[in-house]
Amino acid sequence: MTLQHTPLSYEDRIFKNLDGSGDWSIKGYQERGGYDGLKKILTTDTVEIIDTLKQSALRGRGGAGFPTGLKWSFMPKPTKERPTYLVCNADEGEPGTCKDRDILRNDPHTLVEGMIVGCYTLGAKTGYIYIRGEYYDEANRLQAAIDEAYEAGLLGKDILGTGVCVDLHIHLGAGAYICGEETALLESLEGKKGQPRLKPPFPAGFGLYGMPTTINNVETLAQVPPILKKGVKWWTQFGNPNNHGTKIFSISGSVNKPINIEAPMSITLKELIEHYAGGVIGGWDNLQAVIPGGSSTPMLSAENCQDAVMDFDSLMQYKTGLGTAAIVVMNKDVDLLRVMKRISGFYKHESCGQCSPCREGMGWIYQLMNDIYHGKADISDIDKLEDLTHRIDGHTICAFATGAIWPVQGTIRHFRHLMEQKVQPKKTASKAKTKKSA
Amino acid sequence: MADNMITLTIDGHEVQVEPGSTIMQAAKKLEVEIPHFCYHPRLSVAGNCRMCLVEVEGAPKPVASCAFPVSEGMNVKTQSQLAEQAHKNVMEMLLINHPLDCPICDQGGECDLQDIAVGYGSDRSRYGSCSKRSVEDKDIGPLVKTVMTRCIHCTRCVRFATEVAGVEEFGATFRGQDMKIGTYVEKALDSELSGNMIDLCPVGALTNKPFAFSARPWEMKTVNLIDVMDGMGTNIYADVRDEEVMRMRPRTNEEINEEWMTDTARFAVDGLTKNRLTAPLVREGKNLRQVSWQKAFDTLTEHLKGKRRDGIFALASSTLSAEDYYSFNMFMKESVGTDNVDARTDGSPIRGDVRASYVMNSGIAAVDNADAVLLVGCDLRRESPLLNARVRKNVLAKNIKVASIGALTNTTYDVKDLGRSPMDILDLIEDEKLFKKTFPKTKNLMVIMGAEATTRTDALKIMGAVRKLCQKYEMIRPDWNGYNLLSLKAGQVAALDFSVYPVAAGVEAKDVSKSVSEGLVKTLFIYGDVEIPAQELQDAEYIVYMGTHHSAYADIADVVLPTAAYTEKEALWVNTEGRVQAARKAVNPPMQAKEDWKIFRALSECLGKKLPFDTLSQLRLLIAKVNDAYLPENWGSFVVPAWDKFGLTTKPNKAEFEFSVPEYYLSNGYLRQSKVMQDCAAKAQDTNNKKVS
Repeated sequence: MTLQHTPLSYEDRIFKNLDGSGDWSIKGYQERGGYDGLKKILTTDTVEIIDTLKQSALRGRGGAGFPTGLKWSFMPKPTKERPTYLVCNADEGEPGTCKDRDILRNDPHTLVEGMIVGCYTLGAKTGYIYIRGEYYDEANRLQAAIDEAYEAGLLGKDILGTGVCVDLHIHLGAGAYICGEETALLESLEGKKGQPRLKPPFPAGFGLYGMPTTINNVETLAQVPPILKKGVKWWTQFGNPNNHGTKIFSISGSVNKPINIEAPMSITLKELIEHYAGGVIGGWDNLQAVIPGGSSTPMLSAENCQDAVMDFDSLMQYKTGLGTAAIVVMNKDVDLLRVMKRISGFYKHESCGQCSPCREGMGWIYQLMNDIYHGKADISDIDKLEDLTHRIDGHTICAFATGAIWPVQGTIRHFRHLMEQKVQPKKTASKAKTKKSA
Repeated sequence: MADNMITLTIDGHEVQVEPGSTIMQAAKKLEVEIPHFCYHPRLSVAGNCRMCLVEVEGAPKPVASCAFPVSEGMNVKTQSQLAEQAHKNVMEMLLINHPLDCPICDQGGECDLQDIAVGYGSDRSRYGSCSKRSVEDKDIGPLVKTVMTRCIHCTRCVRFATEVAGVEEFGATFRGQDMKIGTYVEKALDSELSGNMIDLCPVGALTNKPFAFSARPWEMKTVNLIDVMDGMGTNIYADVRDEEVMRMRPRTNEEINEEWMTDTARFAVDGLTKNRLTAPLVREGKNLRQVSWQKAFDTLTEHLKGKRRDGIFALASSTLSAEDYYSFNMFMKESVGTDNVDARTDGSPIRGDVRASYVMNSGIAAVDNADAVLLVGCDLRRESPLLNARVRKNVLAKNIKVASIGALTNTTYDVKDLGRSPMDILDLIEDEKLFKKTFPKTKNLMVIMGAEATTRTDALKIMGAVRKLCQKYEMIRPDWNGYNLLSLKAGQVAALDFSVYPVAAGVEAKDVSKSVSEGLVKTLFIYGDVEIPAQELQDAEYIVYMGTHHSAYADIADVVLPTAAYTEKEALWVNTEGRVQAARKAVNPPMQAKEDWKIFRALSECLGKKLPFDTLSQLRLLIAKVNDAYLPENWGSFVVPAWDKFGLTTKPNKAEFEFSVPEYYLSNGYLRQSKVMQDCAAKAQDTNNKKVS
């Protein structure tokens, strides 16, 4: 196929060792150009840094796509009584997503450098990295990288003679999806039960231990130093306006070559699958549906996939989102309803249980999905299911419920006919049965 | 009213509230009802039930009114289509897993879930054939019954336990649909305030265990009472069916108990109907025989005829009302004519000369204005769990400093230990640096003396030392009086007000046991369950017992006169602040038992020295002359007593303070008669033994 986009050159890639072929350690990272120009950044005015980030239109890579420069500008100046904190969200729990994992184990110093720059910009003396508990090995790798950085004088007191002090701590989670929600993450980090906090107040005002806190995704933080080093112009050459830069796409499912690949934003979905992931198993025509951004984003039908463009704004026309850019491809051999039923089960299991609509509703939705899948439901149950999703949406503290009902809505939107097929035969069968008994 | 008030509109009505208020608070001000479960004004905001969602113009989604701060010009709609739909949606979710077993649920009739479901929910369920969740019940002790399947996870109980009661072993485990509320490790809740979780629970998950299945709320009438289990004067409701008090509930009084009550106050009601004295008894040989009042009076008159007055002794319990003490004291001192009368059976030497010396001069509510608290010989958590909760509230909210001189106890908050003996008070007076270091920048210090100090023989010296301390550090000012004596018993202040102790050369209560063993006590009147064990008194020649229950004192008596319990008389109760509060009569005294003052009035006539009152109002007129606080217009309010000199200036003993409340659940006559309280005491004993081993 002829490519519509120019693949990223080695120079343009931020995660040069994403595939793990090179040396993950500080030596390898420095050979690849890492930590060059860090001293210059640490002597730049922080307002200038935030301005640059605003111009770059870097948007959070953790799923919500909130402008990072804007987020950082909310932070007050630290005082002696009210220190600030930078927290890195490495609780990568979204099914289908595995990009942060590869950053942590193959290129951990990108994150360390990002944390140093982030802490400096926000005036934080301490940065926390909250890693999901399952990433035990990755946490060890990152700890090794942090130790190396301390040894090289890149962490601790007076970094590179600039007077900047940054300490990094790793905290392992205990296996709850909800702890990826930033305020639940803070609660968990404080040693409490991981449950999202009411907002307002927002973390920039009242975050970790009640102090101003910024929480960013691993990938976002790692992308900050290259933007500052290479400039806004370099960054904005990739992607559509307001969706600039490069992005790691995790492609899995019914593809010949599942992969984590860094590519420019606003690349077409078809190119990603065909060019980088070795194509759909059984050919493009065998495609049934694609989840474009992790399990909480609604599916794209095969027709949508034909010309879907992968960025935050473009996917909205298909009533879905870029999310974490975890592309799950399903070809026609996949029992799609079973997948979606399983995803509903996942969200039922992972609801924190705080808000009534989510706690009770997720179980109900899963039961209905299950009944429909097993043909135990009525055709009216499909309408009930859809109605139910609207009754839960927007009634809860955090966005978990919204993320949990989207895939259900997506399934009904594109594959209602499959659901109807599941519930129909039972109806006729039961009718036949009544006739017989009569 | 502050200048920077925020104006907003709720359902078309304008309202002004202080900045930082929530929509819920603004709505309360307007008396607009917003349905809610998890929100409670005395607990932190959880915002998790989502029942209070309302529409705010401009907001994309409905917002939780309990948590959302108001802003200028905000337009809130609580009855718009969006809001009503949200209420309906949340209600539907709350009900799908609720068992809807109202017919067998004790909360029925006073259930928030029932009420709000009728008001805001749908009239039918769409849950259909899906199966409901069932949850195993928890055993959290003999007081609170749990039916966890009914739980709607509002976490009010969890927040109460952690924030107010200070027992942090109550919480939510697991998540999502499987979230469970309870103690992390299954065990009885170690709190004196656990019963309040029953009131807080908006559904039937936590209910009153002893009261289970005994009455419906609409069958009972409610009477305003004052609790007598500790010195606080907690305002309570008694729910009465026919001639039986079925249960107690707290009555809100911001200045005293806010809206909490102790477990002893709530759960001791079962004792009021058991083992009661229902008729006068006279000893015939080994047995007590039921007689008429006239016969009992005749027997007593006959016995007292020609007896030497210095051989007659009288002891009164410490859970009696103002009328009781006044009429008893007058009866003993004037009609009988003895000065060997004492209500201080705990051995305290305190006298009633200066009212300021034996009350809480700051007042209970002043804890909210205090910068620091110094406990002197006070096990605050056991002596007054409610005052302790109030101190804890301020420790959490304003980080006030608390220090203690006395036995070390678990107060549920951090207390600085300043020593164990009264000598440490003297150190604090001498050592200004130590004081400044312990209480930096303290303007309003509350010194609270407890029963560990006041029941000692050197109590007057300790009181003198504390007075000196308060005066030295300028804690006695027109705007603040930091000297406080916390009374452990409900009748302590009234008894001192009316000088129910020897005023001439009479024998004090602490010496009565000795007098008994020396054979000096010819006739002993015991009024209520006193603090001196019955065994020490049984050798008195002739014993008259006036009381409510057939206790150990009735067993040793020759004449027994049945009196009315605290629920059975119109009475004035004086709390530790000296505040006089009127309680109504909830039920009649059982069978032939009579109101106490009537007995003394009738008996005085038999003795030929009639007490000068025939009705309760006449009696109350006499009482009002004793002290301004007893004037009817001052009932219910806190009258600050005049400050004067009191106490001894000599050094107190070196002996360390000892615990004042060894058995919290059995600390007075009413409690000892309650089966429920006995169970609690056994459970507490069990826990203690486990801790030791």
